[in-house]
Amino acid sequence: MAGRKHADGGAEWWDAAAEDEDGTGDVLTPGGLTRRELLRLLALSASGLVVSGSLAGCDTALWVRQDVVPVDSWHKGVCRFCGTGCGMMIGVHDGKVVDVRGDELAHNRGRLCIKGVLNREILYVKDRATKPLIRENGALREATWDEAMALVARRFKESIAAHGPDSVAFYGSGQLYTQESYTANKLFKAGIGTNNVDGNPRLCMASAAAGYTSVFGKDEPSGCYEDIDHADCILLTGSNAADCHPIIWERVLDRKRSKPDTYVIVVDPRRTRTARRADLHLAIYPGTDVTLYNAFLHEFVRTGAVDREMVERYLKFQQAGTPPQPRTFAQFREHVAKFTPEKAAAVCGVSADAIREAAFRFARAKASLSLWTMGLNQQFQATASNRLVMAMHLLTGQIGRPGATPFSLTGQPNAGGGVRDTGALAHTLPNGRMVAKPKDRAEMEKLWGVPAGRISAKPGYDAVGLFSAMERGDVKCCLVMGTNPAQSLPNADRFRKAMEKTFLVVADAFHPTETTQFADVVLPAALWTEKEGVFSQSERRYHLVPKLVDPPGEARSDLAILVDLADRLGQGALVKARTPVDVWDEWRKMSASSKYNFEGITYERLQKERGILWPCPTEDHPGTKRRFVPGEDPLAHGTAGKDRFDFYGMPDGRAVIWLHGQEAAQDPASPEYPLRLATGRVLEHWHTATITGRVPALQDVPIDFLEMNAMDAARLGIGEGDRVEVRSRRGEVELRARVGDYVRPGVVFATFHSAKHLINRAVKETVDPISKEPDFKNSAVAVRRKGGPESNAA
Amino acid sequence: MLPETQTPPSRSRAAAAAARFALWLAPLALLLVAATASRGAEGGSAGVSEGQLLRGAGLFAAVSALILLVLAEFVFRRRMARGTYHLLLLVGLFMLPVIAILGASATVLEETKTVASCNSCHIMHPFVNDMKDPSSATLAARHYKNGWIPDHQCYSCHTTYGVHGTLEGKRDGLRHWLLYVTGTWKEPINYKGSYPNINCTGCHAGTPKFQRVPSHAALNRYLSKDQVGCITCHGPSHPTPLERPVTPGKEAPK
Repeated sequence: MAGRKHADGGAEWWDAAAEDEDGTGDVLTPGGLTRRELLRLLALSASGLVVSGSLAGCDTALWVRQDVVPVDSWHKGVCRFCGTGCGMMIGVHDGKVVDVRGDELAHNRGRLCIKGVLNREILYVKDRATKPLIRENGALREATWDEAMALVARRFKESIAAHGPDSVAFYGSGQLYTQESYTANKLFKAGIGTNNVDGNPRLCMASAAAGYTSVFGKDEPSGCYEDIDHADCILLTGSNAADCHPIIWERVLDRKRSKPDTYVIVVDPRRTRTARRADLHLAIYPGTDVTLYNAFLHEFVRTGAVDREMVERYLKFQQAGTPPQPRTFAQFREHVAKFTPEKAAAVCGVSADAIREAAFRFARAKASLSLWTMGLNQQFQATASNRLVMAMHLLTGQIGRPGATPFSLTGQPNAGGGVRDTGALAHTLPNGRMVAKPKDRAEMEKLWGVPAGRISAKPGYDAVGLFSAMERGDVKCCLVMGTNPAQSLPNADRFRKAMEKTFLVVADAFHPTETTQFADVVLPAALWTEKEGVFSQSERRYHLVPKLVDPPGEARSDLAILVDLADRLGQGALVKARTPVDVWDEWRKMSASSKYNFEGITYERLQKERGILWPCPTEDHPGTKRRFVPGEDPLAHGTAGKDRFDFYGMPDGRAVIWLHGQEAAQDPASPEYPLRLATGRVLEHWHTATITGRVPALQDVPIDFLEMNAMDAARLGIGEGDRVEVRSRRGEVELRARVGDYVRPGVVFATFHSAKHLINRAVKETVDPISKEPDFKNSAVAVRRKGGPESNAA
Repeated sequence: MLPETQTPPSRSRAAAAAARFALWLAPLALLLVAATASRGAEGGSAGVSEGQLLRGAGLFAAVSALILLVLAEFVFRRRMARGTYHLLLLVGLFMLPVIAILGASATVLEETKTVASCNSCHIMHPFVNDMKDPSSATLAARHYKNGWIPDHQCYSCHTTYGVHGTLEGKRDGLRHWLLYVTGTWKEPINYKGSYPNINCTGCHAGTPKFQRVPSHAALNRYLSKDQVGCITCHGPSHPTPLERPVTPGKEAPK
C-alpha cells in the first residue's frame, strides 16, 4: 500500500487524516525504496535467515546449545580401564583427546564411571615415558631405541645360548591389545621355544579360567550382560561391583528398578556399597566359600530343586584330585549331605536361615544369575569356588536361558580376549589349547608354521612361580609389558629382590613406576588411543580401540616393540603380521579351526559395530549371546527346543560338577596375627594406580586406609582416622583406620592402589594349587595403633 | 460492561466520556492482572495458575477490543467527536491488543511447559511413554514415578534456571517445532550441547547422600563447568536410540 494516493480530495476527516499520515510516511528514499519497503524487507530477511538457518542445521550459539568442550571429531572407542569394557565416544581437538562420552549404542547405554570419564586426561598426565632408558652404573640414562633394543636382544640371546630358552620370560598384561599379547605369545612359545609367557591375568582371572575350563571344557563365560536384564535372582559373590564394575552394577540396579522384587544376594566379608543395596548379605568369614556353596548344593538336593534332566543328559560328577575320580549323583548327594546349613553356618559365620533363604531364592527364581570376580578368584580354594558356583547353576538348570548364567567379571580391559583366548599364559596355547597336550601343541605348530617340537612340552612359570624362578636365578631375563608387578604381586619385598637380580626390561607408558625402578631397560610405550588394537571384555565381546593421536616423545606401541624384538632375535620370519590389522586377520582366521570361532569378526565389522560376541563364524553372523545352547550358539549341535545344551568343550558333551571339600586357611590365624586381611579397590582408582594415581582430579580420593570393624577397633583402642600399623609375618604397612561396619569382625581391608603404603608387603604369596592365582583375600595380620588422627606422619 | 452500550447514540460527549472510561479500564485491567498473577505465584494454592489468569485476561481483552472496534466503527462513528474516535481506536487497536498479546504469549509460554505440549509432536511419544512407564529404569521414569518432579517434568529438566534458561528453553522449543513441522529433523534425535548439570545439582548437590560420594568431590571442577555431565554416570535419562521405535521414513540408527 506504500505510495497509495487518494483521488477523492474532498474526503472526510478520517480519510484525510489517513492520507496525511500516509503522506508523511511515504517519503521516497534516494534508493527507490520507501521506508516501509525497507523495513519489510529487513524483517523478511531476518525471519528468512532464522528459518532457513534452523532448517539447514545452523549451529550458532544463538540457535543451538553448545558443547562446553570444543571437539573437532568424535570417534568410537572403548574405555582403557576395567573388564566391563564400556563403549565410548572419544572427542579429539587439535590432535589431542579432550573429551569422552558414553556410547549410547554400546552395551553400557551411554554410561561411564569416573575412571571412564577421565580417559580424556590419562594421555596427558605427568610421568609419561618418552625415551628409552638403560641402566648404567646403577642409574637409568636416556638411550636411543636402537641402543636399548640392541641391548635387550643381546642379553636375551646370551641368556638363551647359555641357559636355554627357559631362562627368558615374558610377563604381560590384560591391558595389552589382543594383537600384542598374541604376538608376544607366538614369539616366545613358537619362536624362542619357551612357555615362560604369563602375566597379570594370573593374579586376576586365572581361577575363573581354570574353573570354566574344567567345568565346560572351554574357558570364558557362556552368558552375556543382557542376562542381567532378565534375572530374577542375582547372586554377587566376591564382587564389589558397585566400586569395581560400576556400570554393570548400574545395570543390576536397573533390573531392580524395573522389577523391584528381583532378589539380590551378596556374599562378601565386607559390607561394601554393593552389599548395602542387597536384599540378603552373607558376610562370610574369608576362605569359607567352599563350605557355603556346598551348603547351597545340599539345600538344592534337600528341597528337590535339582534339575533331573540336567543330571541325566548334560552333567557328570567328579571328585577333585589328581587324577579326578568319576562320581555318581548318589555319591555327590552323599558328599553334600555333610554340608548342612547348620554346619556351614558355624564355619562361615552366617546364620543357617540366611543360607537356606539364599539357596531357596537362587534355586526357585525363574532365572538366577551369579556375578563374581576377585573375591572368588583370589583365594586359596578359588578354582574350587568357581567350580561350585557353576555347579549351583548346572544342578538347578539355571543356565542357558535369558537371565540364568554363571558369569565371572574380568578386571582388565583385555584379560579375556588378549590373554585367555590367545593362550598367553604359561600352561595354555591359543583358543583353549593346552601346552601339556601333544595334540594341541602339534596343531599350533602347524598353524604357526614352525617345525614340529618347537613348542616346549613343559608348561612355563606362572606369575608367582616366575618371580620365584627369578629369585632362584633360573630366569635371567624378563620382558614386562604393561603391568606393575613390583606393586601387584603378593609378598612384595620378596619379589622385588628377585627383580633386582634379573635383567628386567619394562615396557610401560609411565616412568617411574614401582617396577621401572628395578628395570635394566625401560621402553616407553604408547597408551590407549595412541595405538590401535582390539580389546575383549567380560562377555566375550571383541571391540576396537582406534589410534587417534600420536604417542608422546619416542614412545611406540607394544606391538612395534615386540616386532622389533622378534627381528633382533632372528624371529622376523615368524612374525609376519606386523600391523594391528594383519595380526588380527591372522588370529581371526586361526580361530576358525577352534571352538572359539570368531572368523566372522572382521576388522571392517569392528570398525563399524559396537563389538561382537564370539562365537561368530561368518561375517553375517550377529554374534552369540549364550554359548552351548543349540539354536543360539552356531557351534552347538542339537535341535533348538529339544536339546537344551551341547557342552561341546567336553568330549562327551557333559559339563562337570566337581566335588570339593573345605580346606584350612594357608596363612593361619594365631594369637600374634589374629585378623584376616583382604585387599581390593575403590571406585575412583584402578589397580596399582599407575594411571589413575596421576590424574589430578583423583589425587584427593583416599586410598591409604584400613577398614576395620568397630568391635575390633574398640578392642585394640583404635579410633577413626588413627594411624595404624598392619603387620604380618612378611612385612608391615602404615595406614589410617576407617572404623565402622565396613567389614565383618575379625577382618580388615586395605586397597592395593597405594605404592606409598604398599599393602602387598603384608600379603602372603599363597596360590591356588590349580589356577596358581595368589590369595590376596586371606592373610593373617595384626593391627596396632601408632598415633592419633592429628599426627601427620602417615 | 462496555460503557458505549449505555450511552445515548446522539450524544458525542457521552461517547467521549465512555471512550475515556475505556481508556482507564485498560491500565486498570493490566494492574489487576499483574496483582492477581503475583498473588497466584506467591500463594501457589490460589487455584488459578498464572497462565490461566493471563489467558483469561487476554481473552477478555481480545473480545472487548473486537466489540469496541465494531461499535466504534459501524455504530457510533458518526456520532462521536474525532478525538473520541481516535481515543477509542487507540484503546481498541493498541491497548487492548497489548493485553491480548500478553495473554496469548503467556498462554504459549505457560502451556508449552506441560508434558502434553511436548508430547503433541509424535516424535516425543517414545520419551513420554517411557517416562510414564513404571517399569522403566531411565532417569526420567524414576523421577516421574517417584514424584520427584511434581509437574511439567519435561520442562523442569530441560530448562535451566533464570531468565536466560527460560529464553534458551523457549528457543529450543521453537527450533524443535520448526524442525518438526518442516520434517527436517535427523534420526536419531539427540541432545545438543553439554547438559547443564545445575538442573540436577540444584536439587541433589545439597544432600549428604550426594556429598558423601568421593567421585562427586573429585569431579567437582568438571561438574560445575558441565565438562562432565551427571548423566554420564547416572543416565540414560531416556531410552537410547536403539531402544526407541524409529520414526517411519527416517533412517534407522546404526
